Amino acid sequence: MSSSDAPADDTSGVDTTTETDGETDSGAGTPADPLLAVEGVHSYYGESHILEGVSLDVNEGEVVALIGRNGVGKTTTLRSILQLTPPREGHVHYRGEDLVGLGTNEVAQRGVGWIPEDRRVFSALTVEENVRISVPKGGDVDAAVARVYETFPALEERRNAEAGALSGGQQQMLAIARGLVGENDLLLIDEPSEGLAPQIVADVADAIADASREATVLLVEQNLPLALDLADRFYVLDNGQVVATGDTDDVSADDDDLRGYLTA
Amino acid sequence: MSALFAASVGALPLQLAELFTFDALSSVLFDALSKAAVYAMLAMGLTLIFGLMGVLNFAHGSLTMLGAYLGGLVMVVLVTGATGPWTRLAFFFVGLVVVFGLLSALGATLEVGLIRPLYDRPPIYQILLTFGITLVIDELVRIVVLFYGLQPITEWQEALGTKPYFLGQQLVLGPVSVGGMDLFEMLLGAATVAAVWAFLTRTRYGLVVRAGSEDAEMTEALGIDVRRVFTTVFALGVGLAGVAGMLLMWDNNWGASVPLATETLLPAFVVVIIGGLGTFRGTVVAAVIVGFADALAQWLFVNSVVDFPPLPQLTVFLILVVMLVIRPQGLFGRAEVGGH
Amino acid sequence: MTETEATTEESWLVRYGREHVPHLLVIAFLALYPGLYTLAVGLSLPAPLGWVPDLLYAVLPRVDTMIVVLYFGLFAMSFDFVSGYTGYLSFGHAVFFGTGAYTVVLAANGLLPFVPSGTPFLLLLVLAGLLAVALAFAIGAVSFRLSGVYFAMITLGVSQVVYVFVRDWDYVGPNPKDGISVSFDLHPGAFEIGVPFVDALGLGIGKLTGDTLAIAGLELSTVEVSYYCIGLVVLVCYFAMQRVIHSPFGKVMLAIRENEERARAVGYDTYRYKLVAFAVSAFFAAVAGGLFAGYSRAVSPDETFFFLVTGDALLVSIIGGFGTLAGPLFGTWFDELLREFLSKEGTGGGLLPFLQEYLPQSVLDAVILNGMTVGEAVDTFLNGHASLYLGLLFVLFVLFVPNGLLGTVRERAGGRVSKRVAARLRSRGGTETARGTASEDD
Repeated sequence: MSSSDAPADDTSGVDTTTETDGETDSGAGTPADPLLAVEGVHSYYGESHILEGVSLDVNEGEVVALIGRNGVGKTTTLRSILQLTPPREGHVHYRGEDLVGLGTNEVAQRGVGWIPEDRRVFSALTVEENVRISVPKGGDVDAAVARVYETFPALEERRNAEAGALSGGQQQMLAIARGLVGENDLLLIDEPSEGLAPQIVADVADAIADASREATVLLVEQNLPLALDLADRFYVLDNGQVVATGDTDDVSADDDDLRGYLTA
Repeated sequence: MSALFAASVGALPLQLAELFTFDALSSVLFDALSKAAVYAMLAMGLTLIFGLMGVLNFAHGSLTMLGAYLGGLVMVVLVTGATGPWTRLAFFFVGLVVVFGLLSALGATLEVGLIRPLYDRPPIYQILLTFGITLVIDELVRIVVLFYGLQPITEWQEALGTKPYFLGQQLVLGPVSVGGMDLFEMLLGAATVAAVWAFLTRTRYGLVVRAGSEDAEMTEALGIDVRRVFTTVFALGVGLAGVAGMLLMWDNNWGASVPLATETLLPAFVVVIIGGLGTFRGTVVAAVIVGFADALAQWLFVNSVVDFPPLPQLTVFLILVVMLVIRPQGLFGRAEVGGH
Repeated sequence: MTETEATTEESWLVRYGREHVPHLLVIAFLALYPGLYTLAVGLSLPAPLGWVPDLLYAVLPRVDTMIVVLYFGLFAMSFDFVSGYTGYLSFGHAVFFGTGAYTVVLAANGLLPFVPSGTPFLLLLVLAGLLAVALAFAIGAVSFRLSGVYFAMITLGVSQVVYVFVRDWDYVGPNPKDGISVSFDLHPGAFEIGVPFVDALGLGIGKLTGDTLAIAGLELSTVEVSYYCIGLVVLVCYFAMQRVIHSPFGKVMLAIRENEERARAVGYDTYRYKLVAFAVSAFFAAVAGGLFAGYSRAVSPDETFFFLVTGDALLVSIIGGFGTLAGPLFGTWFDELLREFLSKEGTGGGLLPFLQEYLPQSVLDAVILNGMTVGEAVDTFLNGHASLYLGLLFVLFVLFVPNGLLGTVRERAGGRVSKRVAARLRSRGGTETARGTASEDD
């Protein structure tokens, strides 16, 4: 990523990028191609222009956090990668293949999993059915279910309950479990800590940390300390554009520049 | 307690007290169950389709009517005067398979060709389109039926005549007697409900349908081709409409005729809405409720407890209006109304 | 009055006239229609063109049919007024049409409490409209808590309740299923359109009972008099609805259709707006029903309260232009034209008599398939089956021409036709340069 004139505070780890549109140099200094390369994506809801040229890279094995205020386009970025909100301009390269033009199911079949905002578990299905339906065609369903129960014993206790009857934390665990059994190489996780009690947030953080050992993660998170704790790198999104990026090791959660992007 | 009950019964008009006799109760019960079975069969396909894709299929009644005629055609071709009653019954199931297959194919064609282009338009357009399909099907059938010298507005007698004799009789089973056709409707209805129920809960495809009904986007993001599921379910729903039509082709109260399209569409709507649009369980429960209310109203009218001719017909729609006023989302519907 | 005021007055009128040029053209055409029809049909042209009048006779709707176009067009416009402009599909709209129709007949037969049999027709129309408004408030209060499919279903459900009720309610007449008619004993005279209570200033409508008129050397038959009288009422109703659509209220209706959440967010009580729009449309639907009853003197549940009556309004609205006020009238015109052209009886010309006259018998008797002749094929597949072709057309319109005839014309013209024509006229009247007009043309 090209880093322009840094802000006056040169101790800050935040690089302010000026890149706004299509043109990219994917991962200068990175030897291998990135797993995911979002390149100059423009997306709309109806007539409103939400993403105005978003570009970001995620390398294999990384945890990358996408942070920013409400309504700047973080969720839309994930939706655009999944082709739920197909970009009108730009590319989404995954393992070198452009996802734009594919159906969401085809994106998912290539190993991109989604753990959406508000969990979106199938509330009328039982816990176990939620897990079973997430196992890809031809996968070993019973083994996957057993593995989930091993990781999340609380889910096994409620295996025959309707998912809608679970607590928020349990639903989040189920959503993560769904992402895990999907045999995904890339997990797109949206606001996993939202609306959860602090103790539960810690559990969710552990689960994500575990998941990140098996898959590359692009994480949207408002909770800055949590995001910096889990991620290796971060991008800051503002008004539909990437405005800053850096390594999480170089910044702290009370960094003024960073906080400036997150408060109105 | 029982004295109180007896007293209150005694205070009712004499005719109403007659309801509480064994014969009256059992006849109302059987009437109600057979009506419930018919309503469930009429509404099942509609609710599956709405549940998954949010399309209220206005052509459902016309497809039922088409099923009635096609089923009748199969029977008229296969059955001769010499055909024995059990062979006729066997032919019926042959016809059922044929009708289900043909109408499923038609349903898949309609979904792919006409409805798919409209998913990203406001839901009104799907109502409009299926309403247009109704006009076309009804008129086409009318042309064909007239061409073969039949009266489109009266029941197809020849098809009714292919029914085995015992379905037209009262069957005595121990202390009770039940109409043969009523019993047949109950059995076929129960079997169909059970088959669809098993499909939805016991198969992976059924799991996908239920998941897709709740959140199509999330289902898609799990790698499932929801559009293809849409086509399958539309085909299934239309096939079920045809099966219901085939059954009604043998029922003296309905029979194959062009007006069967609207006669079946409206009760099917009512049942689906009372149950909560798109919930299968709700539809089955609502079919039972409407069946009982209908049978009771019928009994009250026939036994002249109430002297108000429109009562039986009105009952069905009155339940609908009352339901929508007090609980718009239906018995088992989710709270957010009009989400589709 | 000073000189300047007079000129502004005049220019205002001129501007108004310019903006309404399409209206004026349509109104002029409709006003001249009976004459044009008579002329076209009676035309005798020299040999090579001799078939033209016969073709016109076959294609053009009779004046009698045009009356249907007028009142049913009004009903379709009222349906479109709420459905097309707010996006709430009023699938039970027939209940208001029926209310209007039955109010007129029941009142004439003295069956409506407090309403004497001789009540002037125009007052009956207003009364019918007000009854429909009351009904609309009752139905709407419940229905507008729901949206989308649910709204369509609850309105359909209510209208079916009323339909079944009226069909079997022997208070309205001895044989309610087959409908009721105005009794010639109780109400011998025609229903009059004109100044209430002044007989000299009213004209009776109805094929048999209506008035004839002779003015300026023209003889107008009962049908033609009815045509003009009913047309006048429809015209007034059209302009009334048009005023509402173009008022701030109409803007809110459109806002509700486009994005109700946003309309609510900017502070509009959308529930109230929807309710009033529903009531207004119910009023005009009832007037349409009243006109129907007044002209035909007989109504039946199946042609008033039944849900397929709403279906017909839907059909013509889509073909004419959903969300354009005049569109449904053109849609109705097209619908009736096709139905008459393909009618079984061949009344008012029609396809079969025309073919019989102009195709040699050998062609009609030619066998095309399995012993079916051309004549029989026309009889089997075309005559009396206009619904099939209208249904196909309807499906095609939903898929490919969702804006309908008028909506598409407007889109092509880039704005409302009236605005567009007015602009063009202004530019003609002003700087009449070749460039100016050329740029207008694309």
